[in-house]
Amino acid sequence: MTPDRQRIVNWVATEIMPHEAGVRAWLRRSRVPPDEIDDLMQEAYAKLVGLKQIDQIQSPDGYFFQTVRNLLTDKLRRAKVVRIEAVMEIDALSVCSDEPSPEQVAAARRELSRVQALIRALPDRCRRVFELRKVEGVPQREIARRLGISESAVENEAVKGMRLIMRALQEQGADLGGDRMRKKTNDRSRKG
Amino acid sequence: MTDREKAEDIEAEAARWVWRLDRDGHTPEQEAELEAWLARDERRRGAFMKAEAVWTLLDRARDTAPPAWQAAEARRSKRESRRALLAGAGAAIAATVVGGGVLIWREDQFRTGVGEIRRAPLKDGSAVVINTTSAIDVAFRQKQRTIRLKEGEAWFQVAHDVQRPFVVEAGAVRVRAVGTAFSVRRRADGADVLVTEGVVEAWVDGAARAPTRLTAGQNAFIDNSAAVHEAVAAPAVVDRKLEWRYGRIDLAGETLQEAVADFNRYNARKLVIADPGIADERLYGVFNTDGPDAFAAAVRASLGVEIEVRSSEIILGRRRAS
Repeated sequence: MTPDRQRIVNWVATEIMPHEAGVRAWLRRSRVPPDEIDDLMQEAYAKLVGLKQIDQIQSPDGYFFQTVRNLLTDKLRRAKVVRIEAVMEIDALSVCSDEPSPEQVAAARRELSRVQALIRALPDRCRRVFELRKVEGVPQREIARRLGISESAVENEAVKGMRLIMRALQEQGADLGGDRMRKKTNDRSRKG
Repeated sequence: MTDREKAEDIEAEAARWVWRLDRDGHTPEQEAELEAWLARDERRRGAFMKAEAVWTLLDRARDTAPPAWQAAEARRSKRESRRALLAGAGAAIAATVVGGGVLIWREDQFRTGVGEIRRAPLKDGSAVVINTTSAIDVAFRQKQRTIRLKEGEAWFQVAHDVQRPFVVEAGAVRVRAVGTAFSVRRRADGADVLVTEGVVEAWVDGAARAPTRLTAGQNAFIDNSAAVHEAVAAPAVVDRKLEWRYGRIDLAGETLQEAVADFNRYNARKLVIADPGIADERLYGVFNTDGPDAFAAAVRASLGVEIEVRSSEIILGRRRAS
């Protein structure tokens, strides 16, 4: 991996991924169908691949929200039939695209320290594969030998484990992003 | 679209790629094969990026220090202490003023520019939120607290004081409260009054007619000839119309024309409806008062009209050939 690429990958891991749960929660509330949410998220990450500069992005989560929002707007514009509410709700996002609250920063940081917990939560053989590779730094071939399974079986375990971890990361933090976006609703209920 | 690859399949494939690259390293053959795979669908690039990010993240299982977040936090705390410093300075200035004028209720003036929404505490413990392009004078006397709304709109949270009623003057219209919350918007021919808490009395200066009582959730237009156009009690409507206090415009069936007029109160860059055919289209949604471009994009998407963004204005709908 080139150094530039590695920088963006690190940035995505620490500054963007912790907010995916919040974006997903918002998309669900906006009644975007689940398979479209998955598509949108992949497209959003794809937009980040092409970034030349990341240092100027002061509020990565705001940037990410905005990216998803733009993708969604484009999508809705291309669709023949558009639910007017859906389009309008996109704009509720701008309310949320300011800086993360201290609670969010703290929660996202907790998420990082949860990495070990994420590995521990994997099914047994999966967990062993990740512990050996990521914690102990054992080469893949050696992992297969130690576990007494084929390399392709190790690969399958790894893929399964990666996906379980992604799932956990993108759902677990759902509350933190959600809080911020519920701010508006709270204002209202307080008034009412 | 036929046979569109499912996102979860892409995700699995991306994870597999990361694992293989970890095993074999980035050989030219691998790179070429990877690039061929990535090039087939934009989503694959995203999924691969995320898989790489997760892979990187898992390295933290070994070294637990999260430097990026520590840095972010350091930046944050620096910013916050600066903010606290500013707040401290503001309090010091206020204290000096109060020190110089105890008991003598000083006249205060507040003015907001286009798009500015200002919150201010008043000396009696009341609070005011002043909307865009507005001006108020505050005169607190022994017997009465008077606010002169010279222009625009403001919402008041009135501190309870039976000895000194709180009266807002908007042109000829008067609105009196004891302890309550309400807003007044001055218009050329009268004033809108919205009550969020308690009860207010509204009347027109010099008119024979008895004051009109308005209670929480009610909103009315009092015209200069003392006629009261009372709207039905609808707390939701009052809340919605006061969203400006949070920097938002909340539309629930307003026409495009009305929405545009509202946005234009807050922004130097004006929205212009070029196609009269769309002026009466009704809209729903929540927008930021300072986001006419986002609103225009939503109009384009929902009404299917073209928009043109210029430096000084945003044209909605195509101008008819003249």
